[in-house]
Amino acid sequence: MRRDTSHTPKHPHANPKTMYRVRLEDFEGPLDLLLFFIKRDELDIYDIPIAKIADEFLSYVRLMEEVDLDGVGDFIFMAALLINIKVRMLLPRPELDEEGEPIDPRRELVERLLEYIRFKEAAAELNEFHEQRGQHFVRGAASEQQSLFEEAMPETLVNTSLFDLISALRRVLIEASEEPVHEIEHREYSVTEQRGYVLDQLAARGKRTFVELARRKPKSFIIATFLAILEMAREGSVVLSRTEAADDFYVAPGHPPEFDEPLSTNGTLSTNGSSTHGHA
Amino acid sequence: MDMLDTQDQPLDVADGRVKEWTHAIEALIFAADEPVTTSQIAEVIAEVTQEDALSSEQIEVLIGQLNSDYEATGRVLSIQNWAGGFRMATKPEVAPYLKAFFSIDRQRKLSRSLMETLAILTYRQPATKPEVDFVRGVDSDYALRKLMEIGLADVIGRSESVGRPLLYGTTPRFLEAFGLARLDDLPNLREIEALLDDPAFNREKARLLMLEGLDAPEFASEEAEDQTDEENFD
Repeated sequence: MRRDTSHTPKHPHANPKTMYRVRLEDFEGPLDLLLFFIKRDELDIYDIPIAKIADEFLSYVRLMEEVDLDGVGDFIFMAALLINIKVRMLLPRPELDEEGEPIDPRRELVERLLEYIRFKEAAAELNEFHEQRGQHFVRGAASEQQSLFEEAMPETLVNTSLFDLISALRRVLIEASEEPVHEIEHREYSVTEQRGYVLDQLAARGKRTFVELARRKPKSFIIATFLAILEMAREGSVVLSRTEAADDFYVAPGHPPEFDEPLSTNGTLSTNGSSTHGHA
Repeated sequence: MDMLDTQDQPLDVADGRVKEWTHAIEALIFAADEPVTTSQIAEVIAEVTQEDALSSEQIEVLIGQLNSDYEATGRVLSIQNWAGGFRMATKPEVAPYLKAFFSIDRQRKLSRSLMETLAILTYRQPATKPEVDFVRGVDSDYALRKLMEIGLADVIGRSESVGRPLLYGTTPRFLEAFGLARLDDLPNLREIEALLDDPAFNREKARLLMLEGLDAPEFASEEAEDQTDEENFD
């Protein structure tokens, strides 16, 4: 557990007041993170290298805590489960079932992952039904069709996994921690400020990658920029997509937000109910 | 309701009342702003004509006849069986015009967390919140509340287990919003138990299943595609 600490910042973020809270559950959960590792490393789901995965999972969770994403608790719970399995794998004598057969401590987790995949598959099928139904129009339902899923997140704006984004954040932070620190200035960057920075950069140069935007900057700058990008992706003012490098992602201008509508200044994203666009 | 003789017999087209009934059925389905059930239709016809003349099966036959007429005369309408009732709707071919008219630039979608929660409710109902949480590995409180707010899910009872937790399920509105007549119209969940019992044999299959599951947005099951094809060739 300890050996990863060099990669992750050592204290909680100094200025929580400037922090926006992004709801993790709008993106992906702990089982998705496991599936992300399994897919990325092309692992056999029945033979997960649990020690390695548990360590990496923990380092991601630390990063999420650092960024102060809402919903990290679910990830911590899963990290504890992984550590428990890792420890059981190290027992000199394997646990036995009623019939005296050795139990693979990972089995329960594998069953859970498969079960989860099953429901993801079912969700995709339901989505198909919903799309086909959307081709039929009924009388008096125009307003209903407009508003029913009004607040649903525009998923197409994040054409990448949240974990790709966190991988990029991790890379930039690791690089930042390796840079010699020349100035001891404790400047804090706010998310609002970084929204402006990102929009300026995109206006000047069009599509940029996260690494370009955040490289060789102070930690506070990097984290605030990351949160600003997540928030703007949720609103649709930027579009995120994959780069060839697994630990970076593109940020491109999206649909401009309604300018006459000031963005809430103390805005916490965690309510997710704040969007009232288009109900008229 | 008393069953009169006419209800068990095939409809006689020469019977002048059949035309009147068909008109009534068409008018009710046209004017209603939600799916109308055959028993609602039967009650209305009985009330107006003062005779219990039609069974649900016969009403379905007459609705089928209406659909054939629409088809034969090239109408853009058809009567759909959604949420256990019947509703008049436009055909997919004219969707682009309606979308333009109503300024719908892209399909409204539920976020993935709502969609996953809905899928679990659909197949596991009645389900408690802890059951839903366990499958997803996250707290589903927000997703459940949101689904209830938009009317796709609801509390449908209390469990008999300790603490009598609330039980959640899907609503008729869910069926209508997803174009389903009833829950049984959904394909079965893929069986994984079988895979688990014979890991060596099915390992590759599980791996493929996994990749499919991860590429969910583009993913469409073969079953679903088959259905679409059939519809197109009708």
